[in-house]
Amino acid sequence: MPKLAKNCIAGLALILVLVLSFPIAVLAQSEQAITGTLRVEINEERTPVAGVDISVVQGGEEVGVETTAEDGTFAVTVPGDGAYSVTLNTDSLPEGVTLQADATETLEVRVESGNNKAVIYRLVSGDQGETSAFSDQAGKVARLVSNGVRFGLIMAMCSIGLSLIFGTTQLVNFAHGELVTFGAVMALVLDNGTIPFLVAAALALALAAGFGAANDLVIWRPLRKRGTGLISMMVISIGLSILIRFVILWQVGGDRQAYSKYRIQEGIEIGPLSLTPRDLIAMAISIVVLVAVAYMINKTKFGKAMRAVADNRDLAESSGINVQQVILYVWVLGGLLAGLGGILLGLDQQVRWNMGFDLLLLIFAAVTLGGLGTAYGALVGSLVVGIFIELSTLVVAPELKSVGALMILIIILLVRPQGILGRAERVG
Amino acid sequence: MSEQAYIDIDSVVAGYVPEVNILNELSMKIDKGELIGIVGPNGAGKSTMLKTFFGLIPVRSGSIKFMGDDITGLVAHSLVSRGIGFVPQTENVFPSLTIEENLEMGAFLDSGSFEERFDYVTEMFPKLGERKDQRAGSLSGGERQMLAMGRALMMKPQVLLLDEPSAGLSPALQDQVFVNTKKINATGVTIVMVEQNAHRCLQICDRGYVLDQGKNAYEGTGKDLLSDPKVIELYLGTLAQQVRS
Ligand SMILES: Nc1ncnc2c1ncn2[C@@H]1O[C@H](COP(=O)(O)OP(=O)(O)OP(=O)(O)O)[C@@H](O)[C@H]1O
Ligand SMILES: [Mg+2]
Repeated sequence: MPKLAKNCIAGLALILVLVLSFPIAVLAQSEQAITGTLRVEINEERTPVAGVDISVVQGGEEVGVETTAEDGTFAVTVPGDGAYSVTLNTDSLPEGVTLQADATETLEVRVESGNNKAVIYRLVSGDQGETSAFSDQAGKVARLVSNGVRFGLIMAMCSIGLSLIFGTTQLVNFAHGELVTFGAVMALVLDNGTIPFLVAAALALALAAGFGAANDLVIWRPLRKRGTGLISMMVISIGLSILIRFVILWQVGGDRQAYSKYRIQEGIEIGPLSLTPRDLIAMAISIVVLVAVAYMINKTKFGKAMRAVADNRDLAESSGINVQQVILYVWVLGGLLAGLGGILLGLDQQVRWNMGFDLLLLIFAAVTLGGLGTAYGALVGSLVVGIFIELSTLVVAPELKSVGALMILIIILLVRPQGILGRAERVG
Repeated sequence: MSEQAYIDIDSVVAGYVPEVNILNELSMKIDKGELIGIVGPNGAGKSTMLKTFFGLIPVRSGSIKFMGDDITGLVAHSLVSRGIGFVPQTENVFPSLTIEENLEMGAFLDSGSFEERFDYVTEMFPKLGERKDQRAGSLSGGERQMLAMGRALMMKPQVLLLDEPSAGLSPALQDQVFVNTKKINATGVTIVMVEQNAHRCLQICDRGYVLDQGKNAYEGTGKDLLSDPKVIELYLGTLAQQVRS
């Protein structure tokens, strides 16, 4: 049955992505603009940069282009509420001035009607760039790998839950992306200024764990009791995914939203990399959590019971293990890890109603790549997918980077059908 | 037999698919410390009977009593804590766990006594101790069978249910299994053993049952059953007589 499920994952996921990710039209009218000031430090003096083209695009259509004035300022009027991408035309930068090493020329911003939105571009003067010991290309690769590791670690937390749930119940949970969104959105809702962000995040994690448990208690346990088939359960999870996603859309709206804290931080230079404290802490948290989970799976009584249930449910029951309880805890753990992944992703890329769903395909790729049902496989697969999609932007357009991840999935599975860490099934 | 049997299976009806009964009013009374052999044709319901007793298959009617308590309908993991152990016929080890972890799972409800039981089991099966870090999935059939029995012994069961423990083993190892079974029985453990290896099984057991189509067709001491002409015709086979005549 896992084989059949494996085949179904990729196909169904592709169809779902095509059918369900339609853009949300945003309608509103009033005066608002995207503004900013370009300055560069030359000889310890902040000098305005004039004559640089800034363009604003929404949904593939250009909204406006402005050139920075003598004092370095610009303001591009936009039609209303919504998400825009702002691009600085690097060709129009004066000789000797470049974007800071890790900064991108395109920024995604959200504008609220009636309010101007300020964007910040960090520029450096040429001679600063040249003092770097690293060549441009090597520096770029290092930055992409670091981004990939960061994204891969976050993805690993989301993947491990999916993998453990599959391992213990054989369920391919299409609603796993919604566990990710749920955690991120709960933190956003609780982060309303009355409590510190970290408290809001901790509460959100508790809710995410509870949400995982509720998934099992309300839906999956009764279905298992009735002996519902795996394919039926998979279809139910697809329905559940759509339901939860649109409830979230209805509750929080279709825009990207940021947490109140840690929005903009100064980067810390580490060799060719510039990482914000926020990135570093996110990576540290991910690593600590993943090591703790690995330890738990390998060494603790609960971890061993979990592996026993995954191996053979009846035999686990016959050994005195309360299988239904173990499965419930796996759901709690899955909800918790996915929720944490969601919050860290929200800090990095802002919170959106379908952030988890967008991640789902990559999670499936990571889990399948690493070997279905093996926790380490999910970790390795996530890192491979994370690094690969970032590095692929060296040769393909950034919008196509997820496609590259699916290509590597197909190639690796052709060579190693059981996944990178999966064990070949014993015959007989 | 005493007034109240240690294990009392009374007119049990059970099955897998709705409307199809595999066990038809099966009854057995077993005393403490007995070694019971159960034989019968393929598909007679021997494995089903053990699984039903162990709570893995729901009982449709009838009752099962253990030490005077009604255990009908209790789930398997709660029977383990009452001192019943079960070694299934197939898939009886956790393949991705090591030997030691398999045995640890056997003592899941009583981790405190793990060390002591581990020593006991590895004394009986020294091979398991030598290879404790090997994955069970890579063991040979016979080694798996040992591990499966070892896992069930970890909880120090009062009753041990064995489903074809000698299946797939070489003749010498089969003898080993029967000797071990007898040894375990000698420590006071009640054993219910299903076997295809009827001659060997009936030789060592105190009493035997012949199951046919979900009912106990014959019952008696091992020697009686072996020489009963009806049992020979139904189950043991008439090869010996045919060859002679
Ligand atoms: N999981 C199942 N679902 C449906 N029917 C089953 C299942 N397992 C066994 N049966 C049926 O129950 C009947 C009895 O099977 P059982 O395994 O108890 O036989 P057995 O006496 O142990 O035979 P053997 O000596 O071959 O092991 C068979 O007809 C079998 O087809
Ligand atoms: Mg059988």
